[in-house]
Amino acid sequence: MPGEIHGLLGKNGSGKSTLIKILSGFHRPDEGSLEVDGRAVPLPIPLGRSERIGLSFVHQNLALLPEATVLENLIAGDHERVNAWFVNWRAEAARALRLFEEHHLDLDPWARVEDLTPVQRAQLAIIRAADRVGSHNEHASPGLLVLDEPTPFLPIEDVRVLFAMLRRLKAAGVSIVFVSHDIDEVMEITDRATVLRDGHVIGSFTTGSTDRAQIVEAIVGRSLSQTRLVGGDPAGRASGVAVRALRAKVVAGIDLDVAPGEILGLTGLIGSGYDEIPYLLAGARPAEEGTLRLDGRDRSLRHFGPAEAIRSGIVLIPADRQRYGLALDLTLTENAMLPGAAGRGTLMRLDHRSRRSATADLMKRFVVKAQSPDQAGSELSGGNQQKLLLGKWLQLDPRLVLLDEPTQGIDVGARREIYDRLIESCGRGTSIICATSEFDQLEMIAHRVLVFERGRVKAELRGGEVTKSSIEAACYGETRVHAPV
Amino acid sequence: MRQSSLGYQVERFGLVLVWLAVIILFGAMRPDTFLSWSNFSSIFGSEAVLVIVTLGLIIPLTAGDFDLSIAQVLTFVSMLTAILSARMGLPLGYIIPIAIAAGALVGIVNGTIVLFFRVHSLIVTLGVGTFLHGITLWISDSQTISGVSRALMQYVIIHRTFGIPISFYYAVLLAAVIWYVLSYTAFGQQLLFTGRGREVGRLTGVAVGRVRMSAFVASGIVGAIAGILYTGTTGSANPNSGTTLLLPAFAAAFLGATCIKPGRFNAWGSVIAVYFLVTGINGLSVLGFRTYVHDLFYGGALVLAVMVSQLVSGRRERTL
Repeated sequence: MPGEIHGLLGKNGSGKSTLIKILSGFHRPDEGSLEVDGRAVPLPIPLGRSERIGLSFVHQNLALLPEATVLENLIAGDHERVNAWFVNWRAEAARALRLFEEHHLDLDPWARVEDLTPVQRAQLAIIRAADRVGSHNEHASPGLLVLDEPTPFLPIEDVRVLFAMLRRLKAAGVSIVFVSHDIDEVMEITDRATVLRDGHVIGSFTTGSTDRAQIVEAIVGRSLSQTRLVGGDPAGRASGVAVRALRAKVVAGIDLDVAPGEILGLTGLIGSGYDEIPYLLAGARPAEEGTLRLDGRDRSLRHFGPAEAIRSGIVLIPADRQRYGLALDLTLTENAMLPGAAGRGTLMRLDHRSRRSATADLMKRFVVKAQSPDQAGSELSGGNQQKLLLGKWLQLDPRLVLLDEPTQGIDVGARREIYDRLIESCGRGTSIICATSEFDQLEMIAHRVLVFERGRVKAELRGGEVTKSSIEAACYGETRVHAPV
Repeated sequence: MRQSSLGYQVERFGLVLVWLAVIILFGAMRPDTFLSWSNFSSIFGSEAVLVIVTLGLIIPLTAGDFDLSIAQVLTFVSMLTAILSARMGLPLGYIIPIAIAAGALVGIVNGTIVLFFRVHSLIVTLGVGTFLHGITLWISDSQTISGVSRALMQYVIIHRTFGIPISFYYAVLLAAVIWYVLSYTAFGQQLLFTGRGREVGRLTGVAVGRVRMSAFVASGIVGAIAGILYTGTTGSANPNSGTTLLLPAFAAAFLGATCIKPGRFNAWGSVIAVYFLVTGINGLSVLGFRTYVHDLFYGGALVLAVMVSQLVSGRRERTL
């Protein structure tokens, strides 16, 4: 509808991104038709043509160049209006100022984007999209803006500022599709909302007259229960790892306790900060504040490095296997035996034969399917790489294992093997923290789950409460932090 | 990595085979001049300096850094040695430690700028190398300095074992040391991960910064050794001596990474690559080509070596 803000809701993998990619021309649809302003538009849309037909996009990363100025970012790629051989910077600046004034934005065309606040950056990206679609549209209508998750990294006050801007755009006749995970935001800003699940439209709602619970139900659907692989409640049995007052970029003061033999799941929506915790506790990224207590010794997380973490028995299995987990063009032996070669005694002779046979043992224990320990890591499938990575770290018999999305892109069989190894290690008294966006995984292996929102713990589920549907309900559930106005 | 398969063995020793083929080819064309023992022993002896520079380069290359200043370290140290010996008459027992300390100092400067200011090593070492060349021209007044103590020449070029100047054995010894460090020590593994998976190494507790610094210092020291040997080989120091060695050393380092341990910078591969390149050039000059073949050959070899190694790794990826 012209002059409407329409919400698009759905879980990860429900089809929101695919829809957007089709609209922006990245994907070719299998079938279907599209009408803009009552005119049929042939599909697929050629890449880069979407502005002509009145569509413009702001993606989550905003697509701004931080080192360049506001003005440079504003006119970047605007080939149709800006002369390729000569840029009249004075005229462009004046035009930008008029544009900013029209929309009540406090932006300096000559400021560098990296010096802007996050909300100013979002404003710039949105105004750029609005400007493009308004001035290039072949049909001279204000056009349609698609905003893909523009808010998850913004604090609540800034979300308000952004919403004020969207309302002004709407008043000017611009239509907006607002894609978000956050039901409260959608309830607040949109006129209507559509919910997608598994690639289907589940329903459209007029947000003003719809109950929040109805929307949650539409998003989540009814979920099948998984077999739980863990039981009991090891929490509080003995002291394990205690984290206090952890603060970092997207983490706002977290306290955590994990008992020996406990698997603690961390989850939340995109940008809620749960997936930062493993990296902060492993010393992979510095925290602004926080202490970690293990074996009665406090360690400051501000000055904590990977080497010290490993010496304390803390290991990290990162999500980005190729960049942080394994060096894929080196051999399996070299990768698996690196922890032993990384420390001191640097000119000590390495015994290649024992390294090789230790790797072969490890591959047997962790069911890594490969021809030989001398193969390059890149020759293995993702699941086998992940099992090798697990072996690399679990062979150290760590006190605390930190996982981020441990089964990303891995087939079902390998997943189960990974779960078995983790549970086995936890039976020996290892504490495990697993950050993941896969709720059924948590239902299977977590003793306890913390749900994050905006850098804080929003809900804690333990024992029998750890089910996919209750985690979903907690993720999308209402909160005090974010009460509607 | 199919270590036993025939194809892999051919790949490992491919460059050796090509080298032998080149020797046979030139030998057949000019049996008297090219195939003489004196020609070969002079190749082995005089190019020992180039071997050492190449060996110095592969240390930071393994750690993922370039050291373009190494050739100018050679020139500078060579000049320093000549001045200390010929002008000031210091004995070798003082000169050698001073020279090596100078090389290490350049390594520390390179490493500090690269690590502390996070500038790409290519730029830093290019600048530092040029700066060093300036110092060399300054202290030598742009003159070749001769009259170096005969003792140095004695220990470098005059003394021969099996008819080959002793400098060749120094190069082989250094190659053995670097081979050992790269393949048989934990430090070798740390260097490798620093170059090939820096974040993986860092998160596994490798002190990546310290490893890179050590690599720069090591290449500075090896460059200094090459400088001392250069002065010993010619009995004098030429303020432009190193300039022509940088490109051949890079060509040899990359060419060496296609053999013995394909896909990795390695010591014996580098030694073979240097002697392959200088054999080719020697053969061409015996045939009567003039000095321009040096540039054609070295430049061509560098580009070819990089192309071949890219092809090899590309093929590996496709076999996934």
